[in-house]
Formats: sequence, structure tokens, C-alpha cells
Amino acid sequence: MASDQTSSRRWFLRSCALAGAGLLGSGSLLRGERLLAATGRALDPGDPEVPNEQIAKLLKDLFGDRPIRKGHLSLDMPVVAEDGRVVPVIIESDLPMTADQYVKAVHLIVDHNPDPHLSAYHLTPALGSVSLQTRIKMKRTTWVRAILETSSGDVWAAYAHVNVSLNGCG
Amino acid sequence: MTIGDARIRIPDRISRGDLIIVNAIVSHPMDTGFFRTADGQPIPAFFIKDVVVTYGDEQVARFEWTSGVSKDPIVSFTLKADKEAPLAMVWTDTKGGVYKQSVNVAFTSA
Repeated sequence: MASDQTSSRRWFLRSCALAGAGLLGSGSLLRGERLLAATGRALDPGDPEVPNEQIAKLLKDLFGDRPIRKGHLSLDMPVVAEDGRVVPVIIESDLPMTADQYVKAVHLIVDHNPDPHLSAYHLTPALGSVSLQTRIKMKRTTWVRAILETSSGDVWAAYAHVNVSLNGCG
Repeated sequence: MTIGDARIRIPDRISRGDLIIVNAIVSHPMDTGFFRTADGQPIPAFFIKDVVVTYGDEQVARFEWTSGVSKDPIVSFTLKADKEAPLAMVWTDTKGGVYKQSVNVAFTSA
């Protein structure tokens, strides 16, 4: 009786461990492939990975299949934000703001916030340049993406990794 | 400051064609809906979702915000001062509150 019990417990534990490992393995592999398929774009070296389906869908909805390249935009944020309730953001671009060539919109996306699409700034040539400042809330340490769209449809991005000490979203 | 008090700051001295920096602040709690009061009651989401900037009679910018923007939201942007006209901003929140503020862009005679 005693030997039966131990062997059945051992069998149970081993099958649990195997099942768990199997789940982990297949899950992570599948996830990577699925996200790549969902975004349909290759990552440049140094670009943050798309962390989940929500961000993949958001990028797809906003920019379709257009490539998101790094450049022409700077996103200035602290490396460490002590208070997630107030994190300063400075967004600047060197692109021209003329009547026939201008930056149409700038999107600010915080990967691990409850609502990742934090804000959208719709601009016109009357502003003269792209130089935006604001303060945002951040839930936890994550990548922040600033992505702009020009009047001719080009998409440019800048990324910042911010370490958040105090959750500012509740 | 009560909810909706707003200020817009532009430089004192402006010449025609200057690229000026506009700073704006509005007083608003920007509640996310995730926090609770001290006695455990949830605080419903209440935030500014839309900001419209007009210069003269032209809409020069529109910002879409969520509750992810900090309490008492500030925003700063540049403006090409090419005419003497009022610069007006309108903030709209999720409960239909509309807050307005404007300043006059006037050129200093050199």
C-alpha cells in the first residue's frame, strides 16, 4: 500500500512537471511566431519586441503594413521614473512642417499600461515644428514608443525604456 | 484651482514669423477608474479626452488623450506666429465638461 502511494504520487508529480514544461515550451514558441505573423514586419536590431497581441493589433490598426523605421524623431524620457504618476515626456522631430510636407500625427504608446495608446497628437503645418512636452502616468517598467506619421504616409519611430518605481495607474 | 481652470502661456515679446513655445495647463483630476477612496469606494474614470487648438479661425492641432495623461495635464507645443490673432484651446472631458482658455498673439513693435 505504502509503495503504491509513493509511486502514484511520483507519477503524478512527474506528469505535472512534463505537462507544465510542454505548455511553457509550446506556448512561448507559438507566441513568438503568432506575433510576428500579426505584425507582418521584421524588427530592426535594437527595436523593442512587440510584447503582446494588444500592441500588435494597435500597431496594425494605426499603421497597417507600412514599415516602422527608427529615426527623424526623438523621445526624451527619464531612464528611471521614481513616481509613475508623473513621468515627463519630450517628443521632437527634425522633419519639415510645410504645407505640402508635414507631420500629420504623433502617437504615444506605453506597452504595459492598462490603455497602451496613451495619446495621439494631430498636428498641422501652422505649428512650425514638432516639439511636444507633456507628463504621463506609467504602471510599470516598460518600453515607450513614439511613432509619427507624415502627410505622405511615412512612419518614423523612437523608443525609450523607462524603469518605473511606483505604479502610477492604480 | 477648481476643475477646468486653465492657463496658456506664450512669450511676452513676439515678432512676426517667430516660432513661439506655447505652454498650457488645465486643472483636472484625470481619474483612471482603477483607484479607490480611503473607504473602499471605486473612483470612476473621469478624464480629458479631447483638446482642440485654434489660431485665428484655423484649427492648428487636436490632441486625443486618455486617463494615462497625468493629473492637471500640461502640454507644450510650438506655433508659427505669422498673424495677430487669438490662440484658443478647448478641453473636453468624459462627463461632457468643456473648458476654454485663450490668449492674444500680438506683435511687439520693434
